[in-house]
Amino acid sequence: MRPALTVALGVLVALTLPIVPTPSAAQQAAQANGPAPLASGDAAPSPWERYTGWPARDTSNFNTLANPKASPPSPTEPKKLAGPVTGDAANGQKLVADRTRGGSCLACHIMGPAGNADLPGNVGPDLSEIGNAGREDEWLWNYVNDPRVYNPATIMPPWGSHQLFSETEVNDIVAFLKTLKSPAVFKTEVDNPARRHTPVEKRDNLDATTNPAMWAVDKGEELYNKREASSGQACASCHGDAATRFKTWAAGMPRWEPRLDKVLGVEEFVFRHAKATTGANWLMESDENIAMAVYLRNLADGQPMQVDVTSSGAREAAERGRALMEVKVGALNFSCRDCHDPQRGGLKWIRGQWLGEAKGQLDHFPTWRTSLNQIWDIRRRFEWCNVAIWANELPPDAKEYGDLELYLASLSVGKKLSVPGIRH
Amino acid sequence: MAEKPRIKLPKEAKKGEVIEIKTLIAHVMETGLRKDQDGKIIPRKIINKFTAEFNGKPVFSVDIEPAVAANPYMQFTAKVEESGTFRFTWVDDDGTVTTAEQQIAVT
Repeated sequence: MRPALTVALGVLVALTLPIVPTPSAAQQAAQANGPAPLASGDAAPSPWERYTGWPARDTSNFNTLANPKASPPSPTEPKKLAGPVTGDAANGQKLVADRTRGGSCLACHIMGPAGNADLPGNVGPDLSEIGNAGREDEWLWNYVNDPRVYNPATIMPPWGSHQLFSETEVNDIVAFLKTLKSPAVFKTEVDNPARRHTPVEKRDNLDATTNPAMWAVDKGEELYNKREASSGQACASCHGDAATRFKTWAAGMPRWEPRLDKVLGVEEFVFRHAKATTGANWLMESDENIAMAVYLRNLADGQPMQVDVTSSGAREAAERGRALMEVKVGALNFSCRDCHDPQRGGLKWIRGQWLGEAKGQLDHFPTWRTSLNQIWDIRRRFEWCNVAIWANELPPDAKEYGDLELYLASLSVGKKLSVPGIRH
Repeated sequence: MAEKPRIKLPKEAKKGEVIEIKTLIAHVMETGLRKDQDGKIIPRKIINKFTAEFNGKPVFSVDIEPAVAANPYMQFTAKVEESGTFRFTWVDDDGTVTTAEQQIAVT
């Protein structure tokens, strides 16, 4: 059975993923010198500790991308209620707009006067007149508690089953839903998600007076030429002129690495290769590692992205990445696709935030975050996606993130690198 | 490995031309109003003064207050009558003075 399945998956991938026939000139040159030496072991601080300032909540009793079997199982039947739901509708109105509960209902639904109709989202249907829909109390209660009992394909979180709301709180929310009988009135036009402007990024990300991440390019260049005390060697000792040597290299990353049985992005590759050659200890997420990643990608700016997803190993990794996009994680029980596939939540509003689509995002990482004054590489972006939906993040060098990065890069093939990016 | 301030102004200009100057310096601009995770005030540390001179004569200066965001960015104009050197100075609360210079040829 096993080989047949692999072949079937291979055909599927070959049909649906872009095909990249030839390695770049830089890759050919690197291959001529034999495979690049790579250090084994952890490429990120271990044990991994969450970044300062991020929510400290431990959600280890729910799925992660590495452990898709931690969350409690979905109930199979709706719960039978003894009688009509009685609850505190006023409290329900507060709960549905409570930003401390994973964004709560208003993140995805317009709900009449709830939260003063302040920037509700539009991932789910407008519920402003749900009180006129003739729904039974039991149906409403079970839908809030765990909508999977009626619709296994739903992207709505199981608010009760995952203990984001208690049974009493679900009662209160249902009591509030029953009061909703007239369309929402928006104070301003942009409070209506249908009229809100789609965000557009027009800043010149490569202008050094616009993008503070351009300082990382300077820093990366310094590091490239800096001799490590332990070895007396610098990157430049072997690679020479960086602008020539790395003109295309980063556009071909991430890459399947058979010796380590995982996909390496620029950041992890830089750590492992520098550790094995100059002895530099540029752990992932260190300032040095990020500066080198920004620098090396910046050198390949303007080059179309082209990643290998067809050779043996790479194909399977990209397929695993695609499958990871469907894994439900965290207390909110979202998969990547739930939020970033335009057929689901993608290209819609989650409260005041725009959900981008999965494809075409990897051309500008690492990117400056103006809201945080930080440079984020793609792995930190993945980690934040996880923590934001109440899932524990993985270490930046996690194999799952590598598979995901390769699959996402395959959806960006042909886009020209423009690093460092700049985003809110 | 301090980040060098970024300066953007034209290399050449016509006599009497009004040119646009942009500067950006890396700085945390800590307001002195925030608290750390233990509830202690994070001490103020900002760039409190920025000046621009052309051939030794003041062109533009500004006293900066804590409300200015990290990595202060300045954009202003100056009229140039002769070739010379712009000199920019940033003064940190801790006394550190950072300077940068750039020349312009005026014809």
